[in-house]
This record gives sequence, C-alpha cells and structure tokens, in this order.
Amino acid sequence: MTRQDVLTGMLLEEAALTLEELARACRADPAWVVARVELGVLTCATTRPAPRFSDRDLQRARRILALERTFDADPELAAMFADLVDEVERLRGRLRRAGLDAD
Amino acid sequence: MEFRDYYSALGVERGASADEIKRAYRKLARKYHPDVSKEPGAEQKMQEINEAWAVLSDPEKRAAYDQLGRSYRAGQEFRPPPDWDAGFEFSRGAGPFGAQAGDFSDFFASLFGGFGRAGPAGRDAFRMRGEDHHAKVMIDLEDALHGATRQITLRVPSVDAHGHVALRERTLNVRIPQGVRDGQQIRLAGQGMSGSAGGPAGDLYLEVRFRPHPRYRVDGRDIFETVPVAPWELALGATIKVPTPTGTVEVKVPPGSQTGRKLRLKGRGIPGSPPGDLYLVMEVVLPPADSDRARRLYETMARELGFDPRRGLGG
Repeated sequence: MTRQDVLTGMLLEEAALTLEELARACRADPAWVVARVELGVLTCATTRPAPRFSDRDLQRARRILALERTFDADPELAAMFADLVDEVERLRGRLRRAGLDAD
Repeated sequence: MEFRDYYSALGVERGASADEIKRAYRKLARKYHPDVSKEPGAEQKMQEINEAWAVLSDPEKRAAYDQLGRSYRAGQEFRPPPDWDAGFEFSRGAGPFGAQAGDFSDFFASLFGGFGRAGPAGRDAFRMRGEDHHAKVMIDLEDALHGATRQITLRVPSVDAHGHVALRERTLNVRIPQGVRDGQQIRLAGQGMSGSAGGPAGDLYLEVRFRPHPRYRVDGRDIFETVPVAPWELALGATIKVPTPTGTVEVKVPPGSQTGRKLRLKGRGIPGSPPGDLYLVMEVVLPPADSDRARRLYETMARELGFDPRRGLGG
C-alpha cells in the first residue's frame, strides 16, 4: 500500500468538462458524445465558444453509455431510462425532505 | 487467488451458445442494475456479472479461459501457468463499458489485465494516456459544511518484472472541499490509471455521496431538520432553541402555526454561491395523557374549545 500527501482536486461545477474530457471520462469516443448531443440525448451546460459539460452531464453520459452497451439499447431508449432514473431520484429526494424513508 | 467460474456467475452451462450467454447476462444485468436494484450487494454482484461477461462474450478470451479452466473448480486455489495464453490473440486492458482490470477481481487481472502489453506476443506498446478512473467517496454532512480530508483506497493493476499482473491497493488522502453537494464530482488530475510507454496518467473522478444523517436531510445545498414542538408553542407562538449543524439558534415560532410548517433560516445550509438554506420543519408532539391532571386538561380543552379537526371533511 502506498500513501501520499493530501490531494486537492477540482470540484466539478457547471461547464467544467470539454468534449474530449467528457468522452475520456466515459471511455467513449468523442464522436459518440457528439452524436448523442445532436440527438438531444445529452445536453451541454454551454455551447459557446465550445461545448462544455457539467458533472451531471458526465453521470448521465456514463449511465446512457452503459445501457447502450449492456442491452444494445437504442440511444433514445437509454436516454428515457436515464430520465426515469432522474425522476426516481427527484421523488426520493422529496420523500427524504418530508422525513420519509425513500425505500 | 481463487479460480472463478464465470459460467456459474451467469448461470449458464459450459457449452452455452453466445446467444444464451448474452440472454443470461442481460437478465442478471437487469436484476442487479445499480440504478434500480434493491438487492443487497447489487453493485458487487453487477461487477461479478460484468467480469464474467467480459470474458465469455469475447470468443478469444472465452477459448483461453475454457482451456485454462478445464482442470479447475470455482474457489480452487489458482495461479496462471506460464504462457497459458500462448496462441490466443485477445486484447487486454478494457472490459465491457470500458471497465478495467482495476474494476474486476485479482483473478481477472492476472489473466486479462496486462496493461502496457499489446497482446500475448508482447509487442511494443504505444505511448498512451492512462484511462480515467471513477470511484465513490462517502462523507458526512458535517464534512460538506466545514471541509474534511478523507482516505480512499483504490485497487489498481500493477505489472511485475515478469509481466505478471496483480491488483494492489493504493491509498489516497483527498481533501473534501467545503460546500460540496451530494452527487458532485471531484476531479483529481493524474490520479487515474497509469499511462503506457511513458504516457501521462489519467484522471480520477470521485463521486461524493452523503451518508444518511440521523437528524438532517439534504437536498442540493438545502438542509431540512425536523423540530419537535409542543402544541401551545405552535398555537401561541414561542421562541425556541434549536441545535443546528452550525450551532444552536433561537427561532421564533409564529403564533397560529400548524405542524409541518417550515421556518427558513437563509444561508444556513451548505456553503456555496449562493449558499443553501436551513429549513426547520415544525412537528407537533402531544404531551401524554398519563396522569389524572393531564387527562383533566385534555378534557377541559375538548369541552371548552369545541374544536373539530374534521370539520372540512363534510359528512
């Protein structure tokens, strides 16, 4: 086991990742990301001067990619699943706020 | 290291067709998908399934595994014989969905995780940047409020002088910045997988998750706290002391409040730009009618107030 000093990372906010960084973090080709943005399956936090993505975009892109690869899913179908997962998380958040067990 | 039976992991026979393996994999992937599964240990199970799929879905890897596995049973002590993969041409390093040997078991890493090697023939590797790596770190709400340092342990493949691959543990001390939100990611440049042939290392993405707190609930940067109050404090109004994540505060409960009323303390949530708010949710607690005096007081209220909480229901 190796130990290191305390590492300080960058907290990803809106518009944190370039197209290439997002693709690399997903272990996907940039063309895969571009195609999903054109389809409206993925969105950019900003498009000018160049597309930039948020940490939520990264999480969504990884989820969609895994679904496409696991089930040979159509990108639109994978996106719909990702939307439903987001909705479930939103509703669980409301339950938590209300002091109710989300499970 | 124990031998892993990938066929039993997917619940198929050794002679299963590619279609049968795919069907079994998808069925299990649906069952243990981390986004939907409530099964205990679903994430671990999903990794095992992915590992089995990474081998059995690739004809070359499957053939090599089959040849190797003829004389082994699941759980049996195992060490790969020298040049066990001679004659096979599978690619190493990446599993399904870009998963890597570090995501899988020692067993997988020892067989298929030869980073920096282009194949069993040992061709020279290209200079390549290492893959980005993803991990989760669990923190407490207090860590987000004040900042903290957390230790995380990653499993990374390493290659010895003989080209054998094994997973080793790597411990990192990571600063958790004040104001981090649940689900937010921290990028640690150069802390991902090592590059090959002198290429730069990838980045490590840490997904921050909050442990459930017994008293506080968090939504974005807002914090919610349920505060028990007596009926007369709600009805008549009161100044009450409430312990909050950043210290005890005095708040005024307006007269005529109902249970469930939220009092917002602006800017007392998780720090940020803008900072979150703290919501105190009033929850009435009735004094028990466990003495003659208490019962008499309740009876007096019932008689004197003429209160019908169900008046609005009709009927």
